[in-house]
Amino acid sequence: MYKGYLCLILHGHLPFVRHPEHEDFLEEDWLYEAITETYIPLILTLERLLNDNIDFRLTMSLSPTLISMLTDGLLQDRYLRHINRLIELAYKEVERTRWQPEFQHLAIMYLNNFCKARDTFQRFNRNLITPFKNFQDCGKLEIVTCAATHGFLPLMDICRESIRAQVKVAVSHYETVFGKKPRGIWLPECGYHPGHDEILKEAGLRYFFTDSHGVLHGAPRPKYGVFAPVYCRGTGVACFGRDLESSKQVWSSIDGYPGDYLYREFYRDIGFDLDYEYIRPYIHPDGVRINTGIKYFRITGSESKEPYNPHLAREKASEHASNFMFNREKQIEYLYDFMQKKPIIVSPYDAELFGHWWYEGPAWLEFLIRKVIFDQKTIRLITPGEYLLENPRNQVITPSLSSWGWKGYSEMWLQGPNDWIYRHLHTASGRMTELAKSLPHRDGILRRALKQALRELLLAQSSDWAFIMGTGTHTSYATRRTKEHLLRFTRLYEDIKSNSIDENWLCDIEYKDNIFPDIDYRVHQ
Amino acid sequence: MAILRKLKEKLKKIMQKEKKSPPQTFAPQTSAHPPRILAEILAKKIAKGSPQKRKGKEVPAAEKKEILGQQETAIGKTKFYTVEAPRMPRVMPQELPEQYGQDKIVLQVRDPWWIHAYWEITGQTYERLKNELKDEFYRAKRILRVYDVSQIIFDGKNAHRFFDIQINEGTSNWYIDSAGAGRSWCVDLGLLLSDGRFIMIVRSNTVCTPIEGPSWITDEEWMIPEDMFARLYGMGFGLGRSSPVGKGWQERVRRAFISSPGVSSLASPVKKVPGERKFWLVVNTELIVYGATEPDAKVYIQDRQINLRHDGTFTMRFALPNGKQVIPVKATASDNKEERTITPIVTKETK
Repeated sequence: MYKGYLCLILHGHLPFVRHPEHEDFLEEDWLYEAITETYIPLILTLERLLNDNIDFRLTMSLSPTLISMLTDGLLQDRYLRHINRLIELAYKEVERTRWQPEFQHLAIMYLNNFCKARDTFQRFNRNLITPFKNFQDCGKLEIVTCAATHGFLPLMDICRESIRAQVKVAVSHYETVFGKKPRGIWLPECGYHPGHDEILKEAGLRYFFTDSHGVLHGAPRPKYGVFAPVYCRGTGVACFGRDLESSKQVWSSIDGYPGDYLYREFYRDIGFDLDYEYIRPYIHPDGVRINTGIKYFRITGSESKEPYNPHLAREKASEHASNFMFNREKQIEYLYDFMQKKPIIVSPYDAELFGHWWYEGPAWLEFLIRKVIFDQKTIRLITPGEYLLENPRNQVITPSLSSWGWKGYSEMWLQGPNDWIYRHLHTASGRMTELAKSLPHRDGILRRALKQALRELLLAQSSDWAFIMGTGTHTSYATRRTKEHLLRFTRLYEDIKSNSIDENWLCDIEYKDNIFPDIDYRVHQ
Repeated sequence: MAILRKLKEKLKKIMQKEKKSPPQTFAPQTSAHPPRILAEILAKKIAKGSPQKRKGKEVPAAEKKEILGQQETAIGKTKFYTVEAPRMPRVMPQELPEQYGQDKIVLQVRDPWWIHAYWEITGQTYERLKNELKDEFYRAKRILRVYDVSQIIFDGKNAHRFFDIQINEGTSNWYIDSAGAGRSWCVDLGLLLSDGRFIMIVRSNTVCTPIEGPSWITDEEWMIPEDMFARLYGMGFGLGRSSPVGKGWQERVRRAFISSPGVSSLASPVKKVPGERKFWLVVNTELIVYGATEPDAKVYIQDRQINLRHDGTFTMRFALPNGKQVIPVKATASDNKEERTITPIVTKETK
């Protein structure tokens, strides 16, 4: 008999980066790398599970920006160009490493993987949302939404109209893409501020997630800690708290799985290691060396890296999956005795951790799911929606302000390098509310301008820009994006107010920032 | 308070036990009894396969202390792992305005103890104040008056207490150490005159800092035994390994038992050790084999066919390890009637 539940969640998100005005744009590679290394391997993993009739459960959030990029024609074309170039490079690598068998088999592995990625991409007519939708439609995968552009909501509390817009735009986007309403939402960075559940409720959302202390520091005290969801006082929206024990096993670079010496080293890439002239056609046209995705070494544990061995790494991933499962079994058995109720272990991870940073992550996930299904009887995989249907009675509390970011609150997005953005963002929010309220029914070019104004505001609000500024490295793009969207918003606001919209310019930014074509600007109220 | 103290006691005991248990494994924290020991042994066996200790870079004890969300940050960064292209510094069409022409102060909560305030005051407002206050204006101090307005509807006079922070003329934002988790705050920006009068210029929104530990409020309907909660609490934080959330609550308990080697480090996992000499050299060799033949010929290098360019030239590039390479290059005419082979032999040594 099952004694508890394991809820695995992958949070898939990338900020909206799309630059039709440039032939090649470095930061678009974030998407292309994630497609090759994360999304496609995940799709193939889930397909294998499905083909083997494995009744798995997985929860994923796909942010509206990520969905928009994955379904964008220009980016799809460019991904194909990108993967074709990679395949060409991999062919060359197979030849180049002819006298180095320890590397040649890796070159062949990459060549195969890249070809498989291209095949998969084309098999779904370049639209990688299709397979995820299929997994959801057959009941194995629960896809939750996320805020429209991944805005960090606690730092928008002063202008809740913007929170409402972030949530409602996301919900209607989800409906368009998946043909039904989302039941849950992944709050960007797990950022929860008491009261924001009211907006979730308005939008028809039934549950969200917080970090552990969001629930543990809630009032009144949660009876079952993070091992049962709670309902928010006043709204009844359910809140699931993250289990840190299981999180750390995967996240931690000190004693987490991904740091194992047998696993592939992320930071050694042929884009940096090989002769400049040779690698030149495959790096950025400006001549800057970049990651290609071809990496030949394992972490090793010392400065002189040893060649990667995929077989040993795979065995290790299997071993780590067993270890993870064993620990969850023990955890659940213990909690079950203790709580006299089936606990739920909520284990969320960044989807892009799997495959991109932790190359063996998708294999680990597949091993874990297969083992949980076949090798034990304590844990049952579940999605939050399913859990709530089976366990409708839960405690009512007010969760605490929290995030899963650095130090657990808002500091990652509110510190010296990024605190300057808020006076501009908040002013823009106030102005957008003013526009939406004063011009509720508009047509033609004015309507287009209003819609574009909301797009620009939402894009400026992406938590990713503040995050990158906060990390202090390579901040210029993030700064530029924040300013660019704010400036575009400001100009639209002024043009709308003075009724002097420059249609050519509007066309230009509609073409550049083309996210959410059906956006309803009136949701910003 | 009594409740909290009891809870702390419980937690102390649990922490002590946890210090002994292997960090990467799960071990139930009930008072020691056989099943637990068994679980630990099993866990250890399995854990053998889990990450080994790093030999090369022994992480100093102080750095091992993890900050919550630090790993998420480090890994999150790799999503955006690109070098910066040396783009032409694009001229911004314009810069964002420094001010929006309104008197305004906004508070935001950074964490249970710190509040961030930003503000702007228009020139007109200062002009008005100058006219009203005359010389007094120049003697006055600009201050932030921080009110504790927990559980009240603040009317400007009924705050529980307040404190002042003096600010400079050019400053437009401030991190305020409220030193009070779980309380509500409101801030007036104003002038403190030499006679002690306070002239409020603008009042902020009210914010509420979160509590720094579990709530003291226990629901009657869902009464929860103290010891049960203390255990759940420790487990929620991953077996009580250091985690700064609930700092005031968790770490205060812990400090008594774990000798703290100083302030917890915020080191990133890829942090370079300062002072270490970083001089280095890498040498690799590659061999380029190139040539030309009839454009429609077939060319084989070491019996593997290669592609020719349209003009019949070809170039192949090989990583060259130590040792001897015999590289027969064979060209066959398109009608298969003629054949040429040239065999370079290359020996590489490294000293």
